[in-house]
Parts: sequence; structure tokens; C-alpha cells
Amino acid sequence: MNSVVFGQYYHANSWLHRLDPRCKLVSMFMLMIGVFFIRRLDVLALLFALAIILVISSKVPIIKYLKSIKMIATLLIFTFVFQVLFNKTGNELYTFNFTLTYFNLAAGILLLVLFFVLGRLVKKLRLLQFLATLAGAFSLQMFWVYGDVITPYSITIHDASLINSGIILVRVLILVCMSSCLTLCTKPTDITLGLDKMFAPLKKLHLDTSIFTMMISIALRFIPTLINEAFRILRAQASRGVEFSQGGLIKKIRQMVSLLVPMFVIAYKKAADLALAMEARSYIPGHDRTSLYLLKYKARDYIVYVFSLLLLAGMIVVRFVL
Amino acid sequence: MAIIKVQDLKFEYQDIKNAIGGVSLEIEEGEFVCIVGHNGSGKSTLAKLLCGLLVPTSGHIYIDGCELKAELENEENDMLRRRIGIVFQNPDNQFVGVTVKDDIAFGLENRQIERNEIIKRIDEYSRLVGMDKFLDRSPESLSGGEKQRVAIAGILACDTDIIILDEATSMLDPKGVREVLSVISNLKHKKTIINITHNLNEMVLADKVIVMNEGLITASGDVKTILENEELLKEANLVIPDTIKLLNMIRDSKISEDVEDEVCQLIFHR
Ligand SMILES: Nc1ncnc2c1ncn2[C@@H]1O[C@H](COP(=O)(O)OP(=O)(O)O)[C@@H](O)[C@H]1O
Ligand SMILES: [Mg+2]
Repeated sequence: MNSVVFGQYYHANSWLHRLDPRCKLVSMFMLMIGVFFIRRLDVLALLFALAIILVISSKVPIIKYLKSIKMIATLLIFTFVFQVLFNKTGNELYTFNFTLTYFNLAAGILLLVLFFVLGRLVKKLRLLQFLATLAGAFSLQMFWVYGDVITPYSITIHDASLINSGIILVRVLILVCMSSCLTLCTKPTDITLGLDKMFAPLKKLHLDTSIFTMMISIALRFIPTLINEAFRILRAQASRGVEFSQGGLIKKIRQMVSLLVPMFVIAYKKAADLALAMEARSYIPGHDRTSLYLLKYKARDYIVYVFSLLLLAGMIVVRFVL
Repeated sequence: MAIIKVQDLKFEYQDIKNAIGGVSLEIEEGEFVCIVGHNGSGKSTLAKLLCGLLVPTSGHIYIDGCELKAELENEENDMLRRRIGIVFQNPDNQFVGVTVKDDIAFGLENRQIERNEIIKRIDEYSRLVGMDKFLDRSPESLSGGEKQRVAIAGILACDTDIIILDEATSMLDPKGVREVLSVISNLKHKKTIINITHNLNEMVLADKVIVMNEGLITASGDVKTILENEELLKEANLVIPDTIKLLNMIRDSKISEDVEDEVCQLIFHR
């Protein structure tokens, strides 16, 4: 119940949650590689459908995935729009004719001002608001030609560029869905554990990854502690009159410094203490250790392995043979 | 034979000469020893030297007759170090695991104990310190006293012969102090315990009290003789507990022997 829940992990009871973390990591990795091979929109759409099935079967609320997508939505939409507008390959598909007049230029500027005023009142869905503003401004130029004309212009959409940008869009969506699947359905500690066990055999090649995974798990352990410390400092500074989230750029930087300097000192002190405590408890970097946790493959893990391998092979065939 | 024997131990930090300026002591197996001294008198430094976390400038440390050579990184030395466990002052900065279970297991994993045995010992020792209901909790959701009890369980699980507590209760609230203290007093005479403390209630548990000042041992003896020696405590910059002042006042005013005895018993529990 009270187990560590931080990072993105969402507790639920689905087959994806029960899957061995190593299996999830490797399969995810294979599928992601595969997705980069594919340059056909129809196949990508199929893979996207598969990703959606994964998302639904994970029993994690869809909103969690949407949040991950939202983080890169701005970037995604702009890439898509710019690709469509400026990449002119293939046949012409459709031409939009715009007429810029003094009147609808002014109207466009007015809309933009409205957008910023609205931003003060409604803080949510800013991206949608912005898109609506743009769509409004351009549809004015298309349908409502009034006043003195400045210049007419047109934008032509080409079919190949549309498909290319679609490929990028779907590809990124698939990647985000899959990686969110991994992070939402696997505790960070289990991911580290999986990495640890997966790379342990590399020790025979004199490549010691145990120090690295120990570092990750220590970081995971201390992220919540450091966040708590940060809030403590914020409160302490606020009580000394520092007003966070106000003022211009210079002021903001100064506020950041008043947070970061003590944070750094605290982190350093904690690290020194922790190193001593670890050494006192016989931790010697690179030495063999046993583990409280045992990872054991079950039948379902093998099935998933086989399935992802087949899928990867299929994708390679699609790319290089067909 | 003494389980810990220290001979003319010296240690200096880069900027502080004589952080430990020639300390000799002997501690018997199963003894409960308290070390007292004002801040900066070198208690923590001595504790770290005993654990092999610092390398002495000169002098010798013998654990059960074998010399601890902290500068060497060999199997023998590692084995010797594993006989001592230490609980530090700050409960937050020594909690290595992501959960209570993980933290108790950490030392055992390092000692390459079998998984089944680890699980058994986690169960056993978490119960001993009363943390068996919290095994899956993260450190953020624990109080300071609970974290210190987990740290103690982690050391008990490793079955070290010697346990050093370096002001393990000084950052806790009264309730936390009480919890930890009850765990410590249960360990008395089962393990060799070195308790560095400012707390009178902890001192009265001790078989022997060692007073440190400026990197040296200035006195050692049983609690009663140390605490009743006002000169000595003043010299070592220690605060004389009010209860002791009271006892001395009663004694000086010669009210009655009975009252004196009773107060004495109340303070020293004997
Ligand atoms: N890491 C360090 N580097 C330099 N000086 C230190 C360090 N740790 C402690 N000291 C100094 O050594 C002296 C003894 O410190 P310490 O053993 O921590 O005392 P105590 O635990 O009795 O308060 C103090 O003067 C302290 O400032
Ligand atoms: Mg100290």
C-alpha cells in the first residue's frame, strides 16, 4: 500500500504491471528501434493501434498518458505545421488563398491581444487557445476580405510532405505512449533493479554497471528528500521576504539563486554523510553483493519476448524487403 | 581480554591538529560505555576511527586482539570492520534504502548474505525494534525516531559485536528519544555498546562514562563519580544536569541521609 510512489508510477493491477521489468525494458527498446525503421504511414498506424491497445490494457487512466503527450504537444504541433507548410515535395493537394488587408491585419492583432488577456483569466489549455487564435486570424484572411488589400498570398499543401509530417507525428506519438507505458506501469526501483540484473553479466567483461545502478537507486531515494528540502528553503526564504513567482527576469534569477545555493550545500552535505554511512555498512563499490529482490521470468515474459522479437523482425522486413 | 583496545591514538584533519591527540582506552566485551564531551571535542572523530572510516595519523586500534589497519584494503581488514556498526546523528542522511525493508537489507546485501536469510533477519530485527508494520514505508513517511530504529535494526541484522551510537538521539523529539532509548536499553550487555550522548537518561544506563575534551580523554569512571565531580564537568565545558545540582545541594545542606539516598536512586536508577 504505502510503498514508494514517485516518479510517474501509477499503481494498478494489469498484466503490464506484473511483467518482469527486464522484459519490459528489452521489449520496449526493440519496439522503439523498430518504429524508427518504418517509413510507411499505414504500418505506423497499425503500430499506433498496438500502442493504444497497450495503453488501454495497462489500466492506467488515459489522462496520465495525455499528460505525457501534452508535455511535447507544442513541439509536435509546430513541427507538423512547419513540415506541412514549408516542405514542398510531391503533388499539390490543395491551395489556400489568403488576402491580407489592413482590416483583417488589425483584426488578427486584436485576436492576439485577446489571447494574452484571456491568458490572465484562464490558465488552462493555453495551447488550444493559441491554436484557436491562429485559426481565427487566418480564416478571417481567407473568407472576409474587406478594406484596402495589402497583399494576396497562397499556401499550397503537398501530399508527400503531408504524409512525411504524419509519419513523424505518429512515430513520436507511438514512442511517447510506449515509454509512458513503461514508466507508468513500473516502479522506478524496479526499473533500476531490472537494469542491475540485466547488465550484471557484463562484469565478466570487466564492465561494472553495479555502481551505476546503485547511483540511480540512491538518486531515487533522495529525490523526494531533496524536494522536501527545497520546499523548506522556499518557505524559509519566503518568511525572509523573498517573493517567488513574481518580478522580472533578473528578479527571478535572483530568487533561483537564493534557492539553488542552499540546495547545493544541503545536497553536498547529504552526499558526504551518506557515503560515510554506506561505507560504515560495508559497501565497497564494485564488490559482489547479494540482493533482497529476486527477478524470475514467468511464461508471460517469454511470450512477450517472442512477440516483440517477431514484431521487430516484421518491421525490419517491411523496411528492407517489401 | 578487552574487545576494543586503543593505544595512543592520534588523528589530525588538514586544518585541525590534535582532533584526537593521543587517546588510549579499553572496552570489555558486553560493556555499555558512554562518551560525553562538548561539541568539537573529538567524539565523532574517535567513533569514525574505531569503525575504520578514518585512518589514524598514529597509534593502534585492536578489535578482539587483531589490529585494525584502516589504510589497508584487504579481506582481513574488511572482516574486522564488519564487527562494528555505527548509527549516526542525522536520521535522514544514513537511510540508504528506498523502503525500510531495503534499508535493513543494505548491510546484509553488502555482506553477501543469502536472500532467504536476509528476509528472515529483516523480519526478526524489524520486530525487535518495533518497525515490522512499516517494512514497505519510504523514509519520508517515517519520524526521526522510527528512522533511527531502522538504522539500529540494520546494524543488529548484521550481527556486529560492537555498536556505536554517535548522538543517535540528539536530533529526535522526546518521543523519538524514548523509543530509541528503550531499544538501546534492551541491548545492554547483549552487545558491546558505545553511546556518544548528551542525554543524562542515556548516561545512567552506562557501566562506564568517558569524558572527552580537546581530543583527549580527561576522565573515565562510573556515572555517579563522573557526574558528581563538578570540577571535572566544568573543565570539560559540560552542562551539569539540574538533577545533579539538586542532589549536590541536598548533600551539602545535610538535610537527611534518607532523602539523599532516595534522590540518588531516582537519578541513577540503582
Ligand atoms: N571533516 C572534517 N574536516 C575538518 N575538520 C573536522 C571534520 N570533522 C570534524 N572536524 C573538526 O574536528 C574537531 C572534532 O570534531 P568532532 O569529532 O566532530 O567533535 P564532536 O563529535 O565531539 O562534536 C572539531 O574541531 C571539528 O571542527
Ligand atoms: Mg559529533
